[in-house]
Amino acid sequence: MSASYTPTVLLVDDEEMVLGALRSFLQLETTYRILTTTLPQQALDTIRSDLVDVIVADFMMPDMDGIEFLRRARDLRPHASRILLTGYADVQNAIRAINEAGLYYYLEKPWDNDRLRLVIRNGVERSSLVNELDARNTALESTNVELLSLRHRLIKAFL
Amino acid sequence: MAVRSPDPLAEAVNSAKVATLGALAAGVAHELNTPMGALNSNHDVLKRALARLQDILADEVVEPDELDEVRRIVAAINDVLQVNDLAVTRMVRLVTSLRTFGRPDRAQRDHVDVREPIEAALTLLAHETRDRVTIARDFGEIGTVECYPQELGQVFMNILMNAIQAIEGSGTVTVRTRAFADGVRIDIEDTGVGIPAQNLERIFDPGFTTRNSRVGMGLGLLLAREVMDRHGGRIEVRSEPGRGSTFSLTLPYALPHGGA
Repeated sequence: MSASYTPTVLLVDDEEMVLGALRSFLQLETTYRILTTTLPQQALDTIRSDLVDVIVADFMMPDMDGIEFLRRARDLRPHASRILLTGYADVQNAIRAINEAGLYYYLEKPWDNDRLRLVIRNGVERSSLVNELDARNTALESTNVELLSLRHRLIKAFL
Repeated sequence: MAVRSPDPLAEAVNSAKVATLGALAAGVAHELNTPMGALNSNHDVLKRALARLQDILADEVVEPDELDEVRRIVAAINDVLQVNDLAVTRMVRLVTSLRTFGRPDRAQRDHVDVREPIEAALTLLAHETRDRVTIARDFGEIGTVECYPQELGQVFMNILMNAIQAIEGSGTVTVRTRAFADGVRIDIEDTGVGIPAQNLERIFDPGFTTRNSRVGMGLGLLLAREVMDRHGGRIEVRSEPGRGSTFSLTLPYALPHGGA
Protein backbone atom coordinates (compact mmCIF):
# COMPACT_ATOMS: atom_id res chain seq x y z
CA MET A 1 0.00 0.00 0.00
CA SER A 2 1.51 3.33 -1.04
CA ALA A 3 1.79 6.21 1.41
CA SER A 4 -0.67 8.30 -0.58
CA TYR A 5 -3.40 5.68 -0.63
CA THR A 6 -6.67 6.96 0.88
CA PRO A 7 -8.87 4.12 2.15
CA THR A 8 -12.58 4.28 1.29
CA VAL A 9 -15.37 3.66 3.80
CA LEU A 10 -18.90 3.08 2.48
CA LEU A 11 -21.80 3.79 4.88
CA VAL A 12 -25.29 2.40 4.15
CA ASP A 13 -28.30 3.27 6.33
CA ASP A 14 -31.87 4.12 5.31
CA GLU A 15 -31.88 6.92 7.93
CA GLU A 16 -30.25 10.08 6.56
CA MET A 17 -29.69 11.34 10.12
CA VAL A 18 -27.57 8.29 11.01
CA LEU A 19 -25.49 8.73 7.84
CA GLY A 20 -25.08 12.44 8.65
CA ALA A 21 -23.84 11.73 12.17
CA LEU A 22 -21.40 9.01 11.04
CA ARG A 23 -20.11 11.20 8.18
CA SER A 24 -19.55 14.26 10.43
CA PHE A 25 -17.53 12.21 12.89
CA LEU A 26 -15.42 10.36 10.33
CA GLN A 27 -14.72 13.52 8.32
CA LEU A 28 -13.60 15.37 11.42
CA GLU A 29 -11.50 12.61 12.94
CA THR A 30 -10.15 10.54 10.04
CA THR A 31 -8.70 11.06 6.56
CA TYR A 32 -10.71 8.29 4.88
CA ARG A 33 -12.76 8.91 1.79
CA ILE A 34 -16.36 8.60 3.03
CA LEU A 35 -19.18 7.48 0.71
CA THR A 36 -22.79 7.34 1.95
CA THR A 37 -26.12 6.15 0.60
CA THR A 38 -29.58 5.34 1.95
CA LEU A 39 -30.14 2.74 -0.81
CA PRO A 40 -28.58 -0.75 -0.56
CA GLN A 41 -28.94 -1.26 -4.33
CA GLN A 42 -27.02 1.94 -5.02
CA ALA A 43 -24.37 0.81 -2.53
CA LEU A 44 -23.94 -2.44 -4.49
CA ASP A 45 -23.41 -0.42 -7.68
CA THR A 46 -20.73 1.59 -5.88
CA ILE A 47 -19.03 -1.59 -4.65
CA ARG A 48 -19.10 -2.96 -8.19
CA SER A 49 -17.49 0.14 -9.74
CA ASP A 50 -15.35 1.59 -6.96
CA LEU A 51 -12.60 0.39 -4.63
CA VAL A 52 -14.10 0.05 -1.15
CA ASP A 53 -12.09 -1.02 1.92
CA VAL A 54 -14.73 -1.02 4.66
CA ILE A 55 -18.53 -1.31 4.42
CA VAL A 56 -20.72 -0.26 7.36
CA ALA A 57 -24.39 -1.27 6.94
CA ASP A 58 -27.58 -0.85 8.95
CA PHE A 59 -29.63 -3.99 9.60
CA MET A 60 -33.24 -2.83 9.04
CA MET A 61 -33.54 -1.32 5.58
CA PRO A 62 -36.43 -1.38 3.11
CA ASP A 63 -36.05 -3.73 0.12
CA MET A 64 -32.99 -5.51 1.51
CA ASP A 65 -31.85 -6.20 5.09
CA GLY A 66 -28.27 -5.49 6.13
CA ILE A 67 -27.22 -9.15 6.21
CA GLU A 68 -28.50 -9.83 2.69
CA PHE A 69 -26.81 -6.63 1.52
CA LEU A 70 -23.47 -7.58 3.09
CA ARG A 71 -23.73 -11.11 1.66
CA ARG A 72 -24.04 -9.62 -1.84
CA ALA A 73 -21.25 -7.14 -1.07
CA ARG A 74 -18.99 -10.07 -0.15
CA ASP A 75 -19.63 -11.71 -3.52
CA LEU A 76 -18.64 -8.48 -5.28
CA ARG A 77 -15.65 -7.47 -3.17
CA PRO A 78 -14.64 -10.26 -0.79
CA HIS A 79 -11.66 -8.42 0.70
CA ALA A 80 -13.62 -5.42 2.00
CA SER A 81 -14.25 -5.59 5.77
CA ARG A 82 -17.99 -5.80 6.53
CA ILE A 83 -19.46 -4.18 9.64
CA LEU A 84 -23.12 -4.41 10.71
CA LEU A 85 -24.44 -1.43 12.71
CA THR A 86 -27.73 -2.40 14.27
CA GLY A 87 -30.40 -1.30 16.70
CA TYR A 88 -31.66 -4.90 16.74
CA ALA A 89 -28.86 -6.64 18.53
CA ASP A 90 -29.79 -10.25 19.11
CA VAL A 91 -27.83 -13.47 19.05
CA GLN A 92 -29.71 -14.97 16.10
CA ASN A 93 -29.02 -11.99 13.87
CA ALA A 94 -25.39 -11.92 14.92
CA ILE A 95 -24.96 -15.62 14.08
CA ARG A 96 -26.75 -15.17 10.76
CA ALA A 97 -24.56 -12.16 9.93
CA ILE A 98 -21.34 -13.98 10.75
CA ASN A 99 -22.29 -17.16 8.88
CA GLU A 100 -24.01 -15.66 5.85
CA ALA A 101 -22.12 -12.42 5.31
CA GLY A 102 -18.69 -13.24 6.75
CA LEU A 103 -19.06 -10.33 9.11
CA TYR A 104 -15.94 -8.58 10.40
CA TYR A 105 -17.63 -6.73 13.27
CA TYR A 106 -21.04 -6.30 14.85
CA LEU A 107 -21.76 -2.86 16.36
CA GLU A 108 -24.82 -1.76 18.30
CA LYS A 109 -26.74 1.52 18.04
CA PRO A 110 -26.28 3.90 19.74
CA TRP A 111 -22.59 3.53 18.96
CA ASP A 112 -19.50 4.89 20.66
CA ASN A 113 -17.43 7.04 18.29
CA ASP A 114 -13.99 5.99 19.60
CA ARG A 115 -14.95 2.34 19.28
CA LEU A 116 -16.37 2.91 15.81
CA ARG A 117 -13.16 4.62 14.70
CA LEU A 118 -11.06 1.76 16.09
CA VAL A 119 -13.23 -0.90 14.42
CA ILE A 120 -13.07 0.93 11.08
CA ARG A 121 -9.31 1.45 11.37
CA ASN A 122 -8.77 -2.24 12.11
CA GLY A 123 -11.14 -3.07 9.24
CA VAL A 124 -9.09 -0.92 6.86
CA GLU A 125 -5.88 -2.62 8.02
CA ARG A 126 -7.36 -6.08 7.71
CA SER A 127 -8.63 -5.33 4.24
CA SER A 128 -5.27 -3.96 3.06
CA LEU A 129 -3.41 -6.94 4.56
CA VAL A 130 -5.71 -9.38 2.77
CA ASN A 131 -5.24 -7.41 -0.46
CA GLU A 132 -1.48 -7.47 -0.02
CA LEU A 133 -1.48 -11.18 0.78
CA ASP A 134 -3.56 -11.78 -2.30
CA ALA A 135 -1.20 -9.73 -4.47
CA ARG A 136 1.85 -11.60 -3.08
CA ASN A 137 0.17 -14.94 -3.63
CA THR A 138 -0.54 -14.01 -7.22
CA ALA A 139 3.07 -12.87 -7.66
CA LEU A 140 4.36 -16.10 -6.10
CA GLU A 141 2.15 -18.17 -8.31
CA SER A 142 3.35 -16.44 -11.46
CA THR A 143 6.98 -16.73 -10.31
CA ASN A 144 6.38 -20.40 -9.71
CA VAL A 145 4.97 -20.83 -13.20
CA GLU A 146 8.00 -19.01 -14.62
CA LEU A 147 10.38 -21.21 -12.62
CA LEU A 148 8.64 -24.34 -13.80
CA SER A 149 8.89 -23.32 -17.40
CA LEU A 150 12.56 -22.32 -16.92
CA ARG A 151 13.28 -25.71 -15.37
CA HIS A 152 11.51 -27.40 -18.23
CA ARG A 153 13.61 -25.48 -20.77
CA LEU A 154 16.86 -26.18 -18.88
CA ILE A 155 16.14 -29.88 -18.74
CA LYS A 156 15.37 -29.86 -22.47
CA ALA A 157 18.57 -27.95 -23.26
CA PHE A 158 20.89 -30.27 -21.35
CA LEU A 159 19.36 -33.65 -22.09
CA MET B 1 -66.18 17.05 46.66
CA ALA B 2 -68.50 14.53 45.13
CA VAL B 3 -67.09 11.07 44.61
CA ARG B 4 -67.10 10.28 40.90
CA SER B 5 -69.24 7.31 40.13
CA PRO B 6 -67.20 4.49 38.64
CA ASP B 7 -67.21 4.62 34.86
CA PRO B 8 -66.70 1.08 33.50
CA LEU B 9 -66.18 2.29 29.94
CA ALA B 10 -63.48 4.79 30.96
CA GLU B 11 -61.84 2.04 32.99
CA ALA B 12 -61.93 -0.34 30.02
CA VAL B 13 -60.44 2.34 27.74
CA ASN B 14 -57.65 2.92 30.24
CA SER B 15 -56.86 -0.78 30.45
CA ALA B 16 -56.82 -1.02 26.67
CA LYS B 17 -54.46 1.97 26.52
CA VAL B 18 -52.02 0.41 28.95
CA ALA B 19 -52.08 -2.82 26.93
CA THR B 20 -51.59 -0.89 23.66
CA LEU B 21 -48.65 1.08 25.04
CA GLY B 22 -47.12 -2.17 26.26
CA ALA B 23 -47.49 -3.73 22.82
CA LEU B 24 -45.97 -0.67 21.11
CA ALA B 25 -43.17 -0.02 23.62
CA ALA B 26 -40.45 -1.98 21.82
CA GLY B 27 -41.26 -0.32 18.48
CA VAL B 28 -41.39 3.17 19.99
CA ALA B 29 -38.09 2.56 21.80
CA HIS B 30 -36.52 1.59 18.51
CA GLU B 31 -37.96 4.66 16.78
CA LEU B 32 -36.38 6.79 19.54
CA ASN B 33 -33.09 4.91 19.30
CA THR B 34 -32.33 6.19 15.79
CA PRO B 35 -32.43 9.96 16.55
CA MET B 36 -30.88 9.29 19.95
CA GLY B 37 -27.95 7.48 18.32
CA ALA B 38 -27.42 10.43 15.97
CA LEU B 39 -27.64 12.99 18.80
CA ASN B 40 -25.31 10.93 20.99
CA SER B 41 -22.68 10.80 18.26
CA ASN B 42 -23.13 14.45 17.31
CA HIS B 43 -22.79 15.61 20.90
CA ASP B 44 -19.41 13.88 20.98
CA VAL B 45 -18.44 15.45 17.61
CA LEU B 46 -19.31 18.94 18.92
CA LYS B 47 -17.08 18.42 21.97
CA ARG B 48 -14.22 17.30 19.72
CA ALA B 49 -14.78 20.28 17.41
CA LEU B 50 -14.75 22.70 20.33
CA ALA B 51 -11.54 21.18 21.72
CA ARG B 52 -9.86 21.67 18.34
CA LEU B 53 -11.00 25.28 18.07
CA GLN B 54 -9.77 25.98 21.60
CA ASP B 55 -6.47 24.40 20.68
CA ILE B 56 -6.09 26.62 17.62
CA LEU B 57 -7.02 29.73 19.66
CA ALA B 58 -4.75 28.84 22.60
CA ASP B 59 -1.95 31.11 21.39
CA GLU B 60 -4.51 33.83 20.56
CA VAL B 61 -3.36 33.80 16.92
CA VAL B 62 -4.91 31.99 13.98
CA GLU B 63 -2.12 31.19 11.55
CA PRO B 64 -3.01 31.21 7.84
CA ASP B 65 -2.47 27.44 7.65
CA GLU B 66 -4.84 26.99 10.60
CA LEU B 67 -7.59 28.88 8.83
CA ASP B 68 -8.40 25.92 6.57
CA GLU B 69 -8.71 23.69 9.62
CA VAL B 70 -11.06 26.23 11.27
CA ARG B 71 -13.21 26.29 8.12
CA ARG B 72 -13.33 22.48 8.10
CA ILE B 73 -14.42 22.39 11.75
CA VAL B 74 -17.08 25.06 11.19
CA ALA B 75 -18.44 23.04 8.24
CA ALA B 76 -18.56 19.95 10.45
CA ILE B 77 -20.45 21.85 13.17
CA ASN B 78 -22.92 23.05 10.55
CA ASP B 79 -23.53 19.47 9.35
CA VAL B 80 -23.99 18.29 12.91
CA LEU B 81 -26.57 20.97 13.68
CA GLN B 82 -28.59 20.10 10.58
CA VAL B 83 -28.79 16.46 11.65
CA ASN B 84 -29.63 17.52 15.20
CA ASP B 85 -32.59 19.55 13.90
CA LEU B 86 -33.98 16.40 12.26
CA ALA B 87 -33.28 14.22 15.28
CA VAL B 88 -34.81 16.60 17.82
CA THR B 89 -37.90 17.11 15.65
CA ARG B 90 -38.36 13.34 15.39
CA MET B 91 -37.99 12.81 19.14
CA VAL B 92 -40.35 15.68 20.00
CA ARG B 93 -42.98 14.27 17.65
CA LEU B 94 -42.74 10.80 19.21
CA VAL B 95 -42.95 12.06 22.78
CA THR B 96 -45.81 14.44 21.90
CA SER B 97 -47.67 11.50 20.36
CA LEU B 98 -47.14 9.42 23.49
CA ARG B 99 -48.54 12.29 25.58
CA THR B 100 -51.48 12.85 23.23
CA PHE B 101 -52.32 9.15 23.32
CA GLY B 102 -51.71 8.49 26.98
CA ARG B 103 -52.03 11.64 29.07
CA PRO B 104 -54.62 11.41 31.85
CA ASP B 105 -55.37 15.15 31.92
CA ARG B 106 -57.08 14.80 28.56
CA ALA B 107 -59.61 12.33 29.97
CA GLN B 108 -62.14 15.16 30.19
CA ARG B 109 -64.37 16.25 27.35
CA ASP B 110 -62.86 18.77 24.98
CA HIS B 111 -63.17 20.30 21.53
CA VAL B 112 -60.62 18.55 19.36
CA ASP B 113 -59.66 18.23 15.71
CA VAL B 114 -59.71 14.42 15.55
CA ARG B 115 -56.85 14.43 13.04
CA GLU B 116 -54.63 15.15 16.09
CA PRO B 117 -55.26 11.79 17.88
CA ILE B 118 -55.16 10.03 14.49
CA GLU B 119 -51.71 11.52 13.76
CA ALA B 120 -50.54 10.56 17.25
CA ALA B 121 -51.65 6.95 16.70
CA LEU B 122 -49.96 6.85 13.28
CA THR B 123 -46.70 8.19 14.73
CA LEU B 124 -46.72 5.52 17.46
CA LEU B 125 -47.47 2.87 14.82
CA ALA B 126 -44.68 4.05 12.49
CA HIS B 127 -42.49 1.13 13.48
CA GLU B 128 -45.23 -1.41 12.69
CA THR B 129 -45.97 0.08 9.26
CA ARG B 130 -42.44 0.96 8.24
CA ASP B 131 -41.28 -0.50 4.91
CA ARG B 132 -44.41 -2.66 4.73
CA VAL B 133 -47.59 -0.62 4.92
CA THR B 134 -48.04 2.73 3.18
CA ILE B 135 -50.21 5.22 5.05
CA ALA B 136 -52.24 7.46 2.74
CA ARG B 137 -53.71 10.55 4.41
CA ASP B 138 -56.74 12.01 2.67
CA PHE B 139 -57.43 14.65 5.30
CA GLY B 140 -60.26 17.07 4.56
CA GLU B 141 -60.71 20.08 6.86
CA ILE B 142 -63.06 18.97 9.63
CA GLY B 143 -62.75 21.57 12.39
CA THR B 144 -63.28 20.37 15.94
CA VAL B 145 -65.80 18.07 17.58
CA GLU B 146 -66.81 17.90 21.22
CA CYS B 147 -65.55 14.56 22.49
CA TYR B 148 -63.55 12.55 25.00
CA PRO B 149 -60.19 12.70 23.16
CA GLN B 150 -58.59 9.91 25.18
CA GLU B 151 -61.38 7.48 24.34
CA LEU B 152 -61.40 8.39 20.65
CA GLY B 153 -57.62 8.04 20.59
CA GLN B 154 -57.95 4.42 21.70
CA VAL B 155 -60.65 3.74 19.08
CA PHE B 156 -58.47 5.14 16.26
CA MET B 157 -55.47 3.21 17.55
CA ASN B 158 -57.43 0.00 17.70
CA ILE B 159 -58.87 0.25 14.22
CA LEU B 160 -55.52 1.34 12.73
CA MET B 161 -53.77 -1.61 14.43
CA ASN B 162 -56.41 -3.99 13.05
CA ALA B 163 -55.98 -2.47 9.58
CA ILE B 164 -52.19 -2.85 9.68
CA GLN B 165 -52.40 -6.41 11.01
CA ALA B 166 -54.95 -7.33 8.32
CA ILE B 167 -52.32 -6.67 5.66
CA GLU B 168 -50.16 -9.67 4.89
CA GLY B 169 -46.97 -8.55 3.19
CA SER B 170 -47.28 -5.03 1.84
CA GLY B 171 -50.32 -2.84 1.32
CA THR B 172 -51.95 0.50 2.03
CA VAL B 173 -54.05 1.96 4.82
CA THR B 174 -55.98 5.04 3.74
CA VAL B 175 -57.29 7.43 6.39
CA ARG B 176 -59.97 9.81 5.11
CA THR B 177 -61.62 12.66 7.06
CA ARG B 178 -64.68 14.57 5.86
CA ALA B 179 -66.95 17.22 7.39
CA PHE B 180 -70.73 17.16 6.95
CA ALA B 181 -73.57 19.40 8.13
CA ASP B 182 -74.23 17.30 11.23
CA GLY B 183 -70.76 15.93 12.02
CA VAL B 184 -67.54 14.39 10.74
CA ARG B 185 -66.73 11.05 9.22
CA ILE B 186 -63.45 9.14 9.43
CA ASP B 187 -62.84 6.21 7.09
CA ILE B 188 -60.00 3.80 7.75
CA GLU B 189 -59.55 1.59 4.74
CA ASP B 190 -57.07 -1.26 4.37
CA THR B 191 -56.00 -3.51 1.49
CA GLY B 192 -55.83 -6.50 3.84
CA VAL B 193 -57.32 -9.97 3.97
CA GLY B 194 -60.88 -8.77 4.63
CA ILE B 195 -63.56 -10.21 6.92
CA PRO B 196 -65.78 -13.13 5.76
CA ALA B 197 -69.46 -12.17 5.33
CA GLN B 198 -70.63 -14.58 8.04
CA ASN B 199 -68.41 -12.79 10.59
CA LEU B 200 -69.16 -9.24 9.53
CA GLU B 201 -72.41 -9.01 11.55
CA ARG B 202 -70.76 -10.38 14.68
CA ILE B 203 -67.43 -8.57 14.94
CA PHE B 204 -68.86 -6.02 17.41
CA ASP B 205 -70.45 -8.70 19.61
CA PRO B 206 -69.01 -9.15 23.10
CA GLY B 207 -66.28 -11.75 23.10
CA PHE B 208 -66.50 -12.45 19.39
CA THR B 209 -63.28 -13.80 18.02
CA THR B 210 -62.14 -16.33 15.48
CA ARG B 211 -59.22 -18.62 15.98
CA ASN B 212 -57.27 -16.88 13.26
CA SER B 213 -58.53 -13.41 14.03
CA ARG B 214 -56.23 -10.46 14.52
CA VAL B 215 -54.96 -10.04 18.05
CA GLY B 216 -57.32 -8.23 20.41
CA MET B 217 -59.96 -7.68 17.78
CA GLY B 218 -62.85 -9.14 19.76
CA LEU B 219 -62.58 -6.79 22.71
CA GLY B 220 -61.23 -3.81 20.78
CA LEU B 221 -64.18 -3.45 18.44
CA LEU B 222 -66.74 -3.90 21.21
CA LEU B 223 -64.98 -1.10 23.08
CA ALA B 224 -64.89 1.02 19.93
CA ARG B 225 -68.64 0.69 19.44
CA GLU B 226 -69.37 1.59 23.06
CA VAL B 227 -67.15 4.69 22.83
CA MET B 228 -68.90 5.74 19.60
CA ASP B 229 -72.30 5.19 21.28
CA ARG B 230 -71.28 7.48 24.14
CA HIS B 231 -70.36 10.13 21.56
CA GLY B 232 -73.70 9.77 19.79
CA GLY B 233 -71.75 8.46 16.80
CA ARG B 234 -71.64 5.26 14.79
CA ILE B 235 -69.12 2.69 13.63
CA GLU B 236 -69.74 0.69 10.49
CA VAL B 237 -67.71 -1.76 8.50
CA ARG B 238 -67.65 -2.87 4.88
CA SER B 239 -65.40 -5.68 3.83
CA GLU B 240 -64.58 -7.86 0.88
CA PRO B 241 -62.48 -10.95 1.61
CA GLY B 242 -59.21 -10.77 -0.28
CA ARG B 243 -59.59 -7.05 -1.05
CA GLY B 244 -59.79 -5.35 2.34
CA SER B 245 -62.01 -3.64 4.88
CA THR B 246 -63.22 -0.10 5.56
CA PHE B 247 -64.25 1.06 9.01
CA SER B 248 -66.33 4.25 8.95
CA LEU B 249 -66.71 6.32 12.11
CA THR B 250 -69.22 9.16 12.28
CA LEU B 251 -69.21 11.72 15.07
CA PRO B 252 -71.65 14.58 15.71
CA TYR B 253 -70.12 18.00 16.42
CA ALA B 254 -71.49 17.99 19.98
CA LEU B 255 -71.81 15.27 22.59
CA PRO B 256 -75.36 14.10 23.34
CA HIS B 257 -77.02 15.79 26.35
CA GLY B 258 -76.24 13.98 29.57
CA GLY B 259 -73.38 12.24 27.78
CA ALA B 260 -70.96 13.05 30.60
